[in-house]
Amino acid sequence: MSSAVLFVIVAALLFGIGVYGLIIAGHLLRKLFAINIMGNAIFILMVAASGPLDGKPDALPQALVLTGIVIAVSATAFALALMVRLYQLTGQASLHNNEGGDD
Amino acid sequence: MSMGDTSLVEWIATSLLVLGALFYLAGTVGLLRFPDVHCRLHALTKADNLGLLLVCAGLGLLACDWQVAALLGTIWLLGLLAATVSAHLIARHACRDHSATSSRTGSA
Amino acid sequence: MNLAVDSLIGLGLVALAWQAISGRSLFRGIVMFVVFGLTMALAWARMGAPDLALAEAAIGAGVTGALMLVALRRLVQLHPDQPAEPKRARSRLALPIALLAASLVAVIGLGAVSVDREPGRAGVAVMDNLAETGLSNPITGVLLVFRNLDTLLEVAVLLAAFLAALAVFRDQEQAPAPPRGDLPLVGALLAIIVPLTILVSVHLLLAGSHEPGGAFQAGAVLAAGGVLLILAGRLQPASGMPLATALPLVLGLLVFSVIGLAMMLTGAPLLALPGLWAVYLIEAAMMISIALTLVLLFAGASGLRRERP
Repeated sequence: MSSAVLFVIVAALLFGIGVYGLIIAGHLLRKLFAINIMGNAIFILMVAASGPLDGKPDALPQALVLTGIVIAVSATAFALALMVRLYQLTGQASLHNNEGGDD
Repeated sequence: MSMGDTSLVEWIATSLLVLGALFYLAGTVGLLRFPDVHCRLHALTKADNLGLLLVCAGLGLLACDWQVAALLGTIWLLGLLAATVSAHLIARHACRDHSATSSRTGSA
Repeated sequence: MNLAVDSLIGLGLVALAWQAISGRSLFRGIVMFVVFGLTMALAWARMGAPDLALAEAAIGAGVTGALMLVALRRLVQLHPDQPAEPKRARSRLALPIALLAASLVAVIGLGAVSVDREPGRAGVAVMDNLAETGLSNPITGVLLVFRNLDTLLEVAVLLAAFLAALAVFRDQEQAPAPPRGDLPLVGALLAIIVPLTILVSVHLLLAGSHEPGGAFQAGAVLAAGGVLLILAGRLQPASGMPLATALPLVLGLLVFSVIGLAMMLTGAPLLALPGLWAVYLIEAAMMISIALTLVLLFAGASGLRRERP
């Protein structure tokens, strides 16, 4: 097994954990962890699955992933602001509304 | 690394690295097993800073390059500085917490 | 040997991700997530991507972790007596869906790895034309020359995210400043660390042309210095946005678009840059904008004011 295959498997496991966490997580912060983990899994996939050029790694997917990391932080920052605001307005930081049901 | 052409410097460097790793292990065990914040900080800062020094020394020996060695020395000094201040802050916070609710030792 | 190291890192990543999702408390989850980011940096280094390792450690782990911690603190401040975490959703479908998603990724990835690959054409074109740009780090070449529209829009997205977060917080009270006592050690640390972060970020910026580094890594390091100043109380969140804040905030976007559009007047294609000096100028402007945006996001405020110790 090569390192590329290993990291592809790690990416698949991380993506699975991310999807699972996204579905079951109660708190929005946990959902954000899950989304970020899914994103990281795809980043690993892009770099691990792109072939080397003359023995050096391909720069193009790396540059795209670098852009992706910054976009992920931007989206996370906005999502955190929304989460705090939601908590401020409703006293809840979760999306499913089972225990309250009063609105 | 084949065993045949391993030089004395490499042996020394490797033992430094292994020794450093052992100190890290000790620091981590202390962090997990010690009863309260102050003991844990003690384990974390003392053992880990020595571990970092040994690892940096080992890497510097392996690199055989004054520039790299100076860089590693700077890394160690910065690590020392950061560990000192953060340990101080955490200990201070723990002291205040402790004086506020004196029954909650060891739950941090 | 290499595979053993990679396996350890991979195992660590999976375990940390699981801990972040299902660990005991939210605070613990954030810590696990930050350690996950740092382990990702190790993984990038192992995959031959030191630029990504730097970016992940500074932005992915550092900035994201700081933002999450500050958000969690706001939640606790809003309702201190409320139990922080609601119950997990129960779903019988969660596990099958997750397994399906994981196998989809595995199939795509293993398919891409196992086929007898030709090198990507775009990647080859980058390496063939890199010498013309005067840069020797191909990643900076892609980001600043070959696909710089992506980078321009990336800076725009960061700015948009900040403005959107600001709009959400608009009518909210400022979080009270952390209490400041006499902390001689912290003052001494700041006197060493803050100049050093500036030095390191300028080094990363200049190094980006020929070795790992660049505007984003440099901006994140600079932002770390700003966050330290906020944590130590030397910078305080302030309302209102003076020109002295607004201008550096849009500087990267401004310099980038002005140079790119000005070149169109001379008949060059959109965002064609006139030379290496333009790359450095744009990167410097982007570094300042990125750093300021990240610091303001951390402060949750539209401006900052200095506080003399």
